[in-house]
Amino acid sequence: MEYEIEFTVNGEKRTEFVTPSTRLLDLLRDDLGLTGAKEGCGQGECGACSVIMDGKLVVSCLILALQADGSEIITIEGVKKGNDLHQIQKSFIESGAVQCGFCTPGMIMATKDLLDKNPDPSSEEIKRGLSGNICRCTGYAKIIDAVKMSAKKLQSEGSENNA
Amino acid sequence: MLKNPHEYVGHDVIKVDAESKTTGEAVYPNDIYFDDMLYARVKRATHPHAYLKKLDISKAEAVPDVVTVITAEDYPDLNNFGLILKDQPVLVGIDEKMRFMGDALAIVVAETREAARKGVSLIETEVEELEVISNPIRAMEEDSPIIHKEKNMYDSNIPKRNIARSNNLIKGDIDKGFAEADLIVENEYTTQHLEQLPLQNESGVGYYDSIDDQIKLWVASQWIHDSQADIAQSLGVDKDKVRIIQPAIGGAFGKKEDISVHIHLALATLETGKPVKMAYSREESMIAQSKRHPLIIKMKTGVKNNGKLTALEVEVIGDTGAYASSGPAVIHKGLFHSTGPYEIENIKGKSYTVYTNNTYGGAMRGFGATQMGFAYDSQMDIIAHKLGMDPLEFRYKNAFEKGSETATGQILNRSVNVKETLAEAKEMMEDKEGQK
Repeated sequence: MEYEIEFTVNGEKRTEFVTPSTRLLDLLRDDLGLTGAKEGCGQGECGACSVIMDGKLVVSCLILALQADGSEIITIEGVKKGNDLHQIQKSFIESGAVQCGFCTPGMIMATKDLLDKNPDPSSEEIKRGLSGNICRCTGYAKIIDAVKMSAKKLQSEGSENNA
Repeated sequence: MLKNPHEYVGHDVIKVDAESKTTGEAVYPNDIYFDDMLYARVKRATHPHAYLKKLDISKAEAVPDVVTVITAEDYPDLNNFGLILKDQPVLVGIDEKMRFMGDALAIVVAETREAARKGVSLIETEVEELEVISNPIRAMEEDSPIIHKEKNMYDSNIPKRNIARSNNLIKGDIDKGFAEADLIVENEYTTQHLEQLPLQNESGVGYYDSIDDQIKLWVASQWIHDSQADIAQSLGVDKDKVRIIQPAIGGAFGKKEDISVHIHLALATLETGKPVKMAYSREESMIAQSKRHPLIIKMKTGVKNNGKLTALEVEVIGDTGAYASSGPAVIHKGLFHSTGPYEIENIKGKSYTVYTNNTYGGAMRGFGATQMGFAYDSQMDIIAHKLGMDPLEFRYKNAFEKGSETATGQILNRSVNVKETLAEAKEMMEDKEGQK
């Protein structure tokens, strides 16, 4: 049995047919070709499948596709502004926070969620903000650097826009 | 053309693939899709040490959307695979042994992941259970069951059982070394299994290209050419009939040195003529793929009252689990690193790579040397304490320097900075103390 759902992903309205057991992660990857969200554990532990749903950071492996009906979703593919990288993406590249890269999309979504709500987080708040995301390569130091760099760049970008 | 190295050395360099990894565009094995792609899943062992007596796949075959179920019966001529010893079966056949919970009994290929999963859950087995050996000490005892029947896999010079390989380490004269010692300290250290846990599980896509008569595999591998050769010999085809196309690797840390989905994907695509995807769950990855070897390390160290080490007798017993994988090399290397960065004139060492029914041990960061550090540096602290010496000073006294001879007889003639490192660490520690 398939059910029709309507939702917005990265600003685009979509209508899809899903089974009751389809996870949001499968819908994004298999049906919409948005493979940036990764499956690392399938149990909500690693955060590699993180997306932002209705302004809230969620692990898409623990959300059923049916629950996404009527929602607005941002995935890693929707973070870029046109052809330009987002400051968070630039900062991850510049800080050397990307190694194997498998956790990176989830880390960037968690960073975006954090900085959208708290533009100037302390180190402790950054660690808390990324506590749902596991990285096995970096040891996290460079990732925390990247979040700090992102916050700084976004703030100066904001003040330029306001000037 | 080569670029000027001065543009890179000493400068921050942006990784070539960093951008694609921040946008989600980088393609990892599980991100590859074909239009008419099938999904495969493996039925794993139902007991850690048992003969497979009966395998009933009829219920799995009856699941809607299941295309085929492949067993050893379909491919009786497959050869075993393995990085050092060819001891691991692609599929366990009837009257053959399952040796750990990760052994493959059947491959279910289906139109959907759900159907493949359901098919696997409906396969039934009958087994003849054997004693499960979870401890390498038990494995070496005379009345222990033999895990691998094939005789050539064992070191015939050793009277003990289940030993895949043994190695020796001899330097100087051990008796003289202990005779010179004022104090002899004996201890046993044990380390545990460790999971490498790369974030990307074993996964990939296989496609038999009938035009090129070639099996194409998109799988992340650390030993791409060794894997190609091993897959080819296992299938009994020429190497040029197997092509591995390396996508982005989502971490490995040694765990992706071994064959995982490769040969099963090859069989599934040969059988169906369609592209097939396989992705381990995290649980399956933990059960079926390698771990860091747990070691039992027995050390007997001789030392003079002035703090000079004179002798080391060492025994390393490594649990390589059901299959050798990199085990013989890892445990061998552990033995060779048994002094750590300290010079000892007289050494006698022996290592055993032992089969058990645990998940097999393979490569992980440090490749055997890491486990030894726990033993030799614990031993250094304990000896320093017994001598009433400062542990740092004791280490400094015995540390490698230019001209030192290692346990394997290598003369270190350049870039030996152990003492400088110790001195700098001491300074940093004192600075920190001063700040308190």
